[in-house]
Amino acid sequence: MSKKPSMKKELIPVLFLTIVVCIAVIALTLTNDATNKQIEDGKVSATVALLSELFPEMTDYSYDDATAIYIIKQNSDVIGYSYSISGNGYGGAIDILVGVQKTDLSDGNIILQGISIISQKETPGLGTKILEDTFLTQFQDLNSDDIALSQNGGQIDAITGATISSSAVTDAVSQSIADKIEDLRQLNSEVS
Amino acid sequence: MAFFKNFNKGILKENPVLVLLLGLCPTLAVSTSLDNALGMTAAVLFVLISANIIVSLIRNFTPEKVRIPVFIVIIATLVTIVDLSMQAFLPDLSESLGMFIPLIVVNCIILGRAEAFASKNSLKDSVADALGMGVGFGVAIFLVSFFRQLLGTGEVSLFGVGLSLPGLSANPMAIFILPYGAFMVLGCLLATMRYLEVRKNG
Repeated sequence: MSKKPSMKKELIPVLFLTIVVCIAVIALTLTNDATNKQIEDGKVSATVALLSELFPEMTDYSYDDATAIYIIKQNSDVIGYSYSISGNGYGGAIDILVGVQKTDLSDGNIILQGISIISQKETPGLGTKILEDTFLTQFQDLNSDDIALSQNGGQIDAITGATISSSAVTDAVSQSIADKIEDLRQLNSEVS
Repeated sequence: MAFFKNFNKGILKENPVLVLLLGLCPTLAVSTSLDNALGMTAAVLFVLISANIIVSLIRNFTPEKVRIPVFIVIIATLVTIVDLSMQAFLPDLSESLGMFIPLIVVNCIILGRAEAFASKNSLKDSVADALGMGVGFGVAIFLVSFFRQLLGTGEVSLFGVGLSLPGLSANPMAIFILPYGAFMVLGCLLATMRYLEVRKNG
């Protein structure tokens, strides 16, 4: 039983795997560096595209870090606010961008500009109908008191066969108004 | 000759999905549209070819004991490269394939071919094998996607170009878009494959 040669034999696989991992790390670092900026830019431009879809008059926007609210501007006049929320859909999280019109934001005077879906994993052909205009346009210019499915006394008609998806979006938007209203009023008093 | 033999066997005789029953998870999960099928096939083909090339090149000095971890590291690296590149340059496709790009790491086709073929065969044969298996996977996922999209939404489209069946698109059979529809379509395809095989041999 000589121990030395077997030690050496044992080391070769370890060294080999270490070298492979090192090469893999280098390859991944290079890929990450090459794609990182592109991925971030893509996310930002996707958000800007969604914002300008909600607010066609938008010429500029700023982002308030503390409250995570986008302030939408038209030639330096604030015309509205926007923020993203997440609802629990049938297939996972539904990320929604909510637009609120600039008013004095007192109770009963909160009016939605509209909403758009950032990402979703709903059932294709059923839940994905939340992406269609027939559903989304119902939120345009809607008073915050009316954000509920019509079966619950609101103004939103649920999609046939996709009640869970419809109510996930509606409930998330309605809940977000309650959660964000103080932040919105605060911002509103600062900008005006 | 051997090149084409190795290429051909993946498409029909040893089709990874329809005969070997490997890689069923992405075949069932993302086969809701032809666009998804194309994206998935491209990703799998790239990873499969690169993994087979690398594994075949290092086959003579890969220590037996650590070969599986080495293969996994290589495959995981390649998949991450695909995932990041797709997020950067094809964000929409990346969004719709979602989790199933990272999951290529554990796709049995790739580790299976690295272990069963590329680690024992020359570079040329390994490339042929990867191409054949990749195309075979593509054929299977395209077939499943075609039937699911056609029956489930009433229209078939690739890059937005396609046709729709007027009667069906007004009232599609949404069950085929749902997960169990995938099992039904795949089951029918497997049965058809067996039927053709038995008829040919019998």
